[in-house]
Amino acid sequence: MAAASPRIHEVPDDVLAAIDFCFDQGWTDGLPVVPPQVDRVKAMLAADARPPETVIATHPATGLELTLHSAAVNAVMAGCLPDYFPIVVAAFEAMNRPDFNFHGSTASTGGSAPLLIVSGPYADKIGMNSDVNLFGPGNRPNATIGRATRLILRNVFQMLPGISDKSTQGNPGKYSFCIAERARGNPWPLLCEAQGYPKGTSSVTAYAGGGFCNVENHGGNTPEQILGSVADAMANYGCITLGQSVVILAPEHMKIVGEAGWSREKAQDFLFAAARRSVDGMKGVGKYRDREYDTQHGEGAHPLAAEGFLHRGLKPDDILITMGGGDAGGHSCFIPSWSRGRGSIMQHAPIRERT
Amino acid sequence: MQLYAPTSTTPKRKSVRAPVLASLDGARIGILENGKLNAEEMLNEVAALFVQRHGCTVKKLAHKSNASAPAPSTTLTQVAQEVDFLITGLGD
Repeated sequence: MAAASPRIHEVPDDVLAAIDFCFDQGWTDGLPVVPPQVDRVKAMLAADARPPETVIATHPATGLELTLHSAAVNAVMAGCLPDYFPIVVAAFEAMNRPDFNFHGSTASTGGSAPLLIVSGPYADKIGMNSDVNLFGPGNRPNATIGRATRLILRNVFQMLPGISDKSTQGNPGKYSFCIAERARGNPWPLLCEAQGYPKGTSSVTAYAGGGFCNVENHGGNTPEQILGSVADAMANYGCITLGQSVVILAPEHMKIVGEAGWSREKAQDFLFAAARRSVDGMKGVGKYRDREYDTQHGEGAHPLAAEGFLHRGLKPDDILITMGGGDAGGHSCFIPSWSRGRGSIMQHAPIRERT
Repeated sequence: MQLYAPTSTTPKRKSVRAPVLASLDGARIGILENGKLNAEEMLNEVAALFVQRHGCTVKKLAHKSNASAPAPSTTLTQVAQEVDFLITGLGD
């Protein structure tokens, strides 16, 4: 069915009144938005060569569609500049794949939010932060790209808190959850390279993140000690599931791992093997299920999955590891996945710059 | 000042409810469980009440591999051919 024309509202030429109008319409996340004035939306749309009515994502249950135009309106409201728009678009192209399950991960009591990890030269080009205070405030592209993603889920897909978003507690990433991968000093191939994109092509990875777990270790000086503390966070009883993982190593921690000659793959193997709980322990907290154990240990089980244990995830490459954050401090993090199972699988997409 | 609405421009999908069954007596029941802890047990208990009170028969137990995604249309199409009504719900 053909889409209707975008609706235009006439409001007085008063920016503060326009901000209040947006609040009154229920279009915001509780914070003021930039009024989506027509000329600003057109400038945003100029960052993508395709027609504005191009559909980039569809809600699997309601059929609501996200067009470039709707995405641009919400990007303006979030405070994005046009240069940021290709990342917002790529994020939804990734999230639109059925395995990401953006409906479930947004609607669920689990309370996840899409974590976006931008990898490659485009992050530097638009001034994204991959450094100090990585997950904190203060950087416009990080803050507004993540916010635009959330506003689209709210306004276009109608994932409304308390109505269609039933998060028990939610998490702060539901305002904005977007970082850049740190290239400086990173001993491993960047994610965009590991994902197989041509040199010079940046990517965005979307992951339904269930919160944030700081991993502090200022005393460890071997990969086993550093990654051992990460694995312990991954396997805590509150977090351990068959789901995927994101681990962002602080530069101090990455230096220890990298200088010992560990590759990303070796670190993934170590974390998968170490992030586990015994069957008895899982039974002790009431979280053991035969079905999950069989999924991990049945046909096609990874050789590192030990009998009598539940590991986090199904295989080592379920664990995305890269580097981010400031030079000082032994603070890495583990981002647990949404859902207790395999309800959402992380996806990535190339960032298409308009040339 | 002119502001664009940030909402979807997709026309509202027209959906209609299935016609109400004339009678539950002797009807064939399908169960669609979502894979969550206790879902199957809870739905079986509900179905048992229909069996007991209306002489229904449980014909089909279908599963969702992903609790939070819509049931695949192939699952629904197949179940619809074999049952008169379907019981589903969240288990946890």
